[in-house]
Amino acid sequence: MKIIVAIKQVPERDAQVRIDSSGKWIEESDVQYAMNESDAYALEEALQLKEKHAGEVIVVSAGPERVGTTIREALAKGADRAIHIDCDDLAQRDALGVARLIADAIRTENADLVLTGLQSDDLGYGQTGVILAELLGVPHSTLILHVEKTDTGLKVKRELEAGWFQEIELPLPAALTIQSGGNKLRYATLMGIKKAKTKEMRVVNAADLGAPAAPVAALESIELPKKQRSTQIIPGDAKAAAATLVEKLKFEVRVL
Amino acid sequence: MTSLSATLAEPQHFSLPEKLLFLVLVIASAALFWRRFGPILHKILQSRKDPDFHLAPIGRRVWNFFTEVICQVKVIQQRPLPGLAHAFVFWGFCAFALVTLNHAAVGFGIGFLDPAAWYGRIYFYLAAAFAVACAIGIAGLFIRRFFVRPRWLGQKVSSESGIIAGLIFLLMVTYLAAFFTTDAAPAARVLWWIHTLTLLLFLPLIPHTKHLHLVLSPATIFLSRDGFSQIPPLVGDEDFGLVTGKDITQLVSLQAYSCVECGRCTEHCPATNTGKELNPKEVILGMRAYLNGPGPASELPILTGEGGVYVSQKAVFQCTTCGSCEFQCPVGIQHLPIIVGLRRGAVNTGTWEDDYGSKLFNQLERGSNALGISALERDKFIQKQELPIFDGTQEYCLWLGCMGGYDPKGREIVAAFARVMNFLGSSYGVLKKEKCTGDPVRRLGNDLLFQQLAEENLKNLAQNKVKKIVSICPHCVRTIQEDWKAYGAPPEIEHHTEFMARYADKLPRIADSGVPQVSRLRPGNETADDARSVTGHDFSRAESAEKKDWALAPAKSEKIVFHDPCYLGRYRNVYDQPRELIQITGTLVEAPRHRERSFCCGAGGGLAFLGEETGERVSHARAKELVATGATTIGTACPFCNTMFRDALGEMNGTAPQLLDVAQLIARNLGG
Repeated sequence: MKIIVAIKQVPERDAQVRIDSSGKWIEESDVQYAMNESDAYALEEALQLKEKHAGEVIVVSAGPERVGTTIREALAKGADRAIHIDCDDLAQRDALGVARLIADAIRTENADLVLTGLQSDDLGYGQTGVILAELLGVPHSTLILHVEKTDTGLKVKRELEAGWFQEIELPLPAALTIQSGGNKLRYATLMGIKKAKTKEMRVVNAADLGAPAAPVAALESIELPKKQRSTQIIPGDAKAAAATLVEKLKFEVRVL
Repeated sequence: MTSLSATLAEPQHFSLPEKLLFLVLVIASAALFWRRFGPILHKILQSRKDPDFHLAPIGRRVWNFFTEVICQVKVIQQRPLPGLAHAFVFWGFCAFALVTLNHAAVGFGIGFLDPAAWYGRIYFYLAAAFAVACAIGIAGLFIRRFFVRPRWLGQKVSSESGIIAGLIFLLMVTYLAAFFTTDAAPAARVLWWIHTLTLLLFLPLIPHTKHLHLVLSPATIFLSRDGFSQIPPLVGDEDFGLVTGKDITQLVSLQAYSCVECGRCTEHCPATNTGKELNPKEVILGMRAYLNGPGPASELPILTGEGGVYVSQKAVFQCTTCGSCEFQCPVGIQHLPIIVGLRRGAVNTGTWEDDYGSKLFNQLERGSNALGISALERDKFIQKQELPIFDGTQEYCLWLGCMGGYDPKGREIVAAFARVMNFLGSSYGVLKKEKCTGDPVRRLGNDLLFQQLAEENLKNLAQNKVKKIVSICPHCVRTIQEDWKAYGAPPEIEHHTEFMARYADKLPRIADSGVPQVSRLRPGNETADDARSVTGHDFSRAESAEKKDWALAPAKSEKIVFHDPCYLGRYRNVYDQPRELIQITGTLVEAPRHRERSFCCGAGGGLAFLGEETGERVSHARAKELVATGATTIGTACPFCNTMFRDALGEMNGTAPQLLDVAQLIARNLGG
């Protein structure tokens, strides 16, 4: 099975971001970068499928030169080779623009399966994978927690709201967007990194791919979340207060 | 001429057949010795060279050899009675070297120590005194091994060591008996032959038994790696740690063959003592079994879980890296480079599969701290605590570490120490951003991640122009000072107890009445109430806990037991400073195991992040011991120990003593 995983490099989870002078993006020099979380799960799913059914895992990522470190991390974890779409204006491209870049870069690979995270941790459009499927002309399914190969194609488990799941079957080739948490992520190893040095990383220039750079949906501005805190004192005896607290955590804060 | 000889009797005039027989026996004995010892030596020499080995500084090596081998300091200090018995046997052997040479020379008629001459007389009497001591010593060790049978000697009592003990005893007795006969008496000849045969039987037995340490351990101690728990660098693209025989270095081989199976490592191991699979002695013997089996050129894995059968992977990951084994070992075995080396092999090649471990690694691959908490929480803490930000102008960078930045109890320690620094008027600041020093991943053997963390931190410190660091965490201190060296030059660093001890005479002392004897820097009513009501900070999670902790008014009569953190004590040799500080604010009491013999809290070696232990919890075992001292307060100097004991004490019945870091003990005297 030939599997392509589209990964994105995003600011590190704890990054303290500043908005740049254009007001449309963050000061990139301030932050350190890491692999987008759900993309890491997409990669893990691909690696597990390869371990079970043999084949090849190819990672593709668009972005400037710094994206190389994230690509090498993916190679270290076990991907076989990589395609780096070199472009400096990723943040200005909309989901369609990015999907076009990726589709153009991977079309000739004729992969059996294309995986990507369900959304990016920075822009969070959640559309790139779906549009990519459309551009490649393959069926897709989103929010996938588990993938199983069957004789005719795939059986996948989707996560719905409120603890509901849906299992669907679809033929190959296909594209899936992967939800975080379905598998346990492997860690990058020293041996993996050393092996990664010898693996192929093909760099293609975004301009050469022919996809138009002008976005259909342009980003107007971004802003930092407003800090707000509200403290509530829950009255009553411990038992009643605890019940109220659970109620609030469940339905107001929605963390339970 | 049957009167009692005044000196050692030596048989005279050996016949030619006698001489020939003796010669044949000597050659046979030596050949048998070499037949076993030769291959061992070959295996040691055939092992990979240690990339970081330097003979310099030679002074340290000579000193170690003098104290540990010649003077038997460690052997005696750590196990006085058996140690002394062993020392007598050892010194007896040393004194006997010349006697034995002369004894053999007599057989060929070329004896050089004349028993009748004054020097011979003096030497033989001296040797006789050692012989008596040696005989008593070996008899004592025999009784201990076969009748007292301490459990760390293992289930199986080796019969060879009984035979060896018998032979040594016989050597001494036959020597001493020769004082009671004359040169011409047949008895002298019989004694000479019994002594000779005993010697010739003893020699080939040495390399077959743990008595191999007679030959190897002096070299092992002399050649041991510099520093404590020093993890050697990985060299080249094929080095991932101890995976197969090809990774075993000469020092590891030498150390594995030197093990005398005394079980001191076992006796002090927190894992073994709480019913876990790990027994450091078995790790070393497993390495020896590997060398005896596949050998140093083999590509077979060492660890179980990777296809090997020699050392258990599970056991290796139960080590808290407390370093008791390495500290205790009397023959110079350095367990930690071996245990961490095996972990490196498993982690660097990805064969170690552990959900907690993977989670920790993933957290540090993308996040900043080992606790997996958002870095924003650290910012909030710094703001609430009003800690100054380091801007390059201050003298000290106060390194928070993961525990100090994110753990509620660790934050209390930072807050208390900051108050002490404010009181002393120290100039300090905290970094805007910090990453984990990499201590847990270093000890777990993840070199890739450790290198990333070390390099990022070094860069950050250099950019901020940090010259001096002080930290509340002994793990951070050790890792920054020693382990980062592989990737750059870390700034000077010290532990907060070292820092505070330097200013001990400026810190307020507690009087018998409980009122700190100090002129306050700020006006206020000097009452005990005042001293205890001050907490200095107000972050919500820890507040209630702190109020409870500080409910006891400090008084000189307060009994405080100090728990030596492994990474402060054995790793850094800091024992006196925290004690000096505790005596400022209470009465120091000692736990049965303290200073170099302190028993781990269970958190080290990355184990704090690996979930539930099997068997009894190490922290519970130690907490019980500390509580049993009757102290009203447990003093700690490491946020990991603190958090481990907090949990352990919480689960104990009865009133638990209060638990405070040394910084908190000092800070409570500072008043408002």
